[in-house]
Amino acid sequence: MEFEDHFKISEKDIQKILNIALSRGGDFAEIFLEYRVYNFINMEEDIIKETAESIILGLGIRVLAGDKTGYGYTNDLSFEKIKKAALSAASIAQASIPGSAALLSRTQVSHNFFPVLEPPHSADLEKKIELVKEAYFTSQRFDKKIQKVKASLQDQIQYVTVVNSEGLMISDTRPLIKLACLAIAEKEGKREYGFSGGGGRVGLEYFRNELRPSEIGKEAARESLNLLEAVEAPAGEMPVVLSPGHSGVLVHEAVGHLLEADLNRKKTSIFWNKMGKKVGNSQVNIYDDPTIPLFRGSYNVDDEGTLPKKTLLVERGVMKGLLQDRLSSKLMNMPLTGHGRRQDFASIPIPRMANTYIDKGEHSPEEILKSVKKGFYAEKFTGGQVEDSGKFTFSVSLGYLIENGKLTAPVKQATLIGTNIDILKKIEMIGSDLKFGLQTGTCGKEGQEIPVTDGCPTIKISRMTVGGKR
Amino acid sequence: MKDRESTQDLTGLAESLVTFAKRNGADEVEIAIADGYEFSVDVRLGNIENLIEAGTKYLSLRVIKDKRTAFATSSDLSRETLQHLLKNAIKRTTLANPDEFSGLPPPSDKKIDISSLNLFDPEIAELSSEKKINLALETEKIALKDKRISNSHGASSITNEVKVILANSNGFLGQYDQTYCSLSLGLQAGETDNRVEDYWFSSKIHFKDLQPPEEIAKKAVERTTRQLNPKKIRTQKVPVIFEPMMTSWLLGFLFACVSAVSIYQKTSFLVGKLGERIGNRKITVLDDGLMPGKLGTRPFDSEGVACQKTLVVEKGILKNYLSNTYAARKLKLQSTGNADGTSVSPNNFYLEPGTYSHQEIISSTQKGLILIRTLGHGLNPVTGDISRGAFGLWVEKGEIAYPVSEITISGNLGEILNNIEMVGQDLDFQSPVSGPTLKISELLIAGE
Repeated sequence: MEFEDHFKISEKDIQKILNIALSRGGDFAEIFLEYRVYNFINMEEDIIKETAESIILGLGIRVLAGDKTGYGYTNDLSFEKIKKAALSAASIAQASIPGSAALLSRTQVSHNFFPVLEPPHSADLEKKIELVKEAYFTSQRFDKKIQKVKASLQDQIQYVTVVNSEGLMISDTRPLIKLACLAIAEKEGKREYGFSGGGGRVGLEYFRNELRPSEIGKEAARESLNLLEAVEAPAGEMPVVLSPGHSGVLVHEAVGHLLEADLNRKKTSIFWNKMGKKVGNSQVNIYDDPTIPLFRGSYNVDDEGTLPKKTLLVERGVMKGLLQDRLSSKLMNMPLTGHGRRQDFASIPIPRMANTYIDKGEHSPEEILKSVKKGFYAEKFTGGQVEDSGKFTFSVSLGYLIENGKLTAPVKQATLIGTNIDILKKIEMIGSDLKFGLQTGTCGKEGQEIPVTDGCPTIKISRMTVGGKR
Repeated sequence: MKDRESTQDLTGLAESLVTFAKRNGADEVEIAIADGYEFSVDVRLGNIENLIEAGTKYLSLRVIKDKRTAFATSSDLSRETLQHLLKNAIKRTTLANPDEFSGLPPPSDKKIDISSLNLFDPEIAELSSEKKINLALETEKIALKDKRISNSHGASSITNEVKVILANSNGFLGQYDQTYCSLSLGLQAGETDNRVEDYWFSSKIHFKDLQPPEEIAKKAVERTTRQLNPKKIRTQKVPVIFEPMMTSWLLGFLFACVSAVSIYQKTSFLVGKLGERIGNRKITVLDDGLMPGKLGTRPFDSEGVACQKTLVVEKGILKNYLSNTYAARKLKLQSTGNADGTSVSPNNFYLEPGTYSHQEIISSTQKGLILIRTLGHGLNPVTGDISRGAFGLWVEKGEIAYPVSEITISGNLGEILNNIEMVGQDLDFQSPVSGPTLKISELLIAGE
């Protein structure tokens, strides 16, 4: 589909606006046009409670002048309002001679990482409701102790066009769907909840062929039941084994964020002076790859119009790369990687992760477990957070004790903490079982939320602080 | 740069959509419009980084037909799109199940005098961009004079104006204007591999109430540098002092647990506890939407229910859940004016201050931890369990001894509320959820 269909602005007017944006002499001007339709279905207490539909339509105009960014946005796409947004953005530049934009030329993207058969946004709502019901009722009927279930489905289609003063005009179409289920189990007055979900930039066929809604429902129920039997987590320093897939949140928080170029350009990240230096055990290889087909964190074109690349971040424990956007790559004189992303048209693009993972190693998962006499196994997480100094935390929703190389009692709610370089060095063994976490993750930075995925194999960390209750 | 659409045009739009929906078969309909204007500047190391200026409008709607509900929102306010969305929503109601508890709040003659709430500061609309940029520059400049500060996350100055319009088919039509301003600064101290960081901010409805650059800079520097050269501590149970920002964090979690939505969904550990003791006599918690000029003040909630002052916890007894109309009907209660779509949000949700000064509370502590920051998630409303990464100051013999890091705190909100030993007098309403310094008699700290 051509962008005029969604935005009802002519290419000629867009060209004019770019020139207005440069009227005070910025180095670079860009317009990000976004049209998004979002659907939501919510089921609880055995009924479809409500459905919702949202339309997001608008554009954001950015002008760069040196290291300064001016930004204006509007959801009123009349020429006058767009012009006003362009002048707001232009005000960042103070030159007396106006710049001029190159003639726009449309770039056709030759790849499509989202070859979906049944696009979620155009599927009948009834069909999607069936998916929600399947997850809901499977979870509810899984065990008598399941007292309460919530299931929801969110899908969207996002059309994005980026044009800039270098003459670029490029578009991306991104489907996205997420089916999620929450189950609460109750026993002797004690209640615990479990969560599961799935999806990605996939079509409805995914829920027939890859992951049945019933599996999502069962998994949520299973987790809540496991937690009912769980003991309080231990407290103190001990060896920690991270489960494959779900523990990807560790690489996302502990490493990924601090390799975003802006934090290194500003020297606030602990990594800023470590390019080419050893930052972890030599078994550690880390990538961010926005081109993995059908993944939640993927895109054909980033939100600045750059074609994304699989980016090497850490190779054999040595820091090798950064996640770049236009501004940082220009100011740091480093190549673009296609990691400039934004929440929506009202947000300035910044370097962000897409699908981040620690690559597989040589050890079998069994061998890793066997090597631990007494320790903690982190199975599922509710999230994590890091600050630029490298201090991070992860919240473990479900774990296990490791005793004599075997998983024993399930353990609930613990927090893992540490400093990233310290932990990277304490990685002792990496498994051969690389997996990715649930396709449900959202990452927040500077108030902007975007879909991401992360992954890792089974990993053993020699010592880590576990914050539990006993 | 501002030229906002007139209030008349927007209320006219809202009313005409109510009529349109009724004519197209909706039993009940609600239309809300937010018309906002934002100015925001980020400066770092003496230069402007980002300058954002923009206005946007969003519309959200709810329709109910045969007790079945559908929602929609749009940032495209063209009549064509909105009428299409409304028709779609009416059609979609047939896909939801009938729910006897659904529906708009009943008509009410409760009137709130909006002007007495003091929600709009004309001075904010008049502030020049230059003045706002200079505030941020100056704040950072003062802080950077301190030699212990090794890097800056930058300072930001933000102003917002928003007009809220709400119309529904029960005859409700209300609108109010609200302003907001904030000034913040984030800093780092120490060498790259041993850095500490923190920030400070002030946010208000009225510009004259905003803390001046000197105060924000001073506080940000102090909060950052006090963490330099932290020690690790061993795992142990000790008394923990919550600074006001940490009390606010704890109260945010309490809010999630007294939300009537969590209660009817059974996702709170406070299910069935109304009228029962949930904490000791030292705690009284209120939610008040009508305090003049405060950040959480509003005349009516997202469904048009008049805001009020609600006693949530009185001397340790749980008195009220905070609800929207739907959750209130489910629980056979009255809405407390906390609706925020299908969810609830706090108005001014605060813990009533006590008599002790912050210093008196520290002096009373032989050995303990002052909790200054937490990191991560680790809040479970179903059980009340808390487990977070934490930063603190170690207290010995009533005095601050040294900073500590790489620790976690774990506990349970129910237990914490029962173990409150002292309540400070320093309630500052820095955010819609706020509380004074608290001393908890015992919490588990995990360290080495």
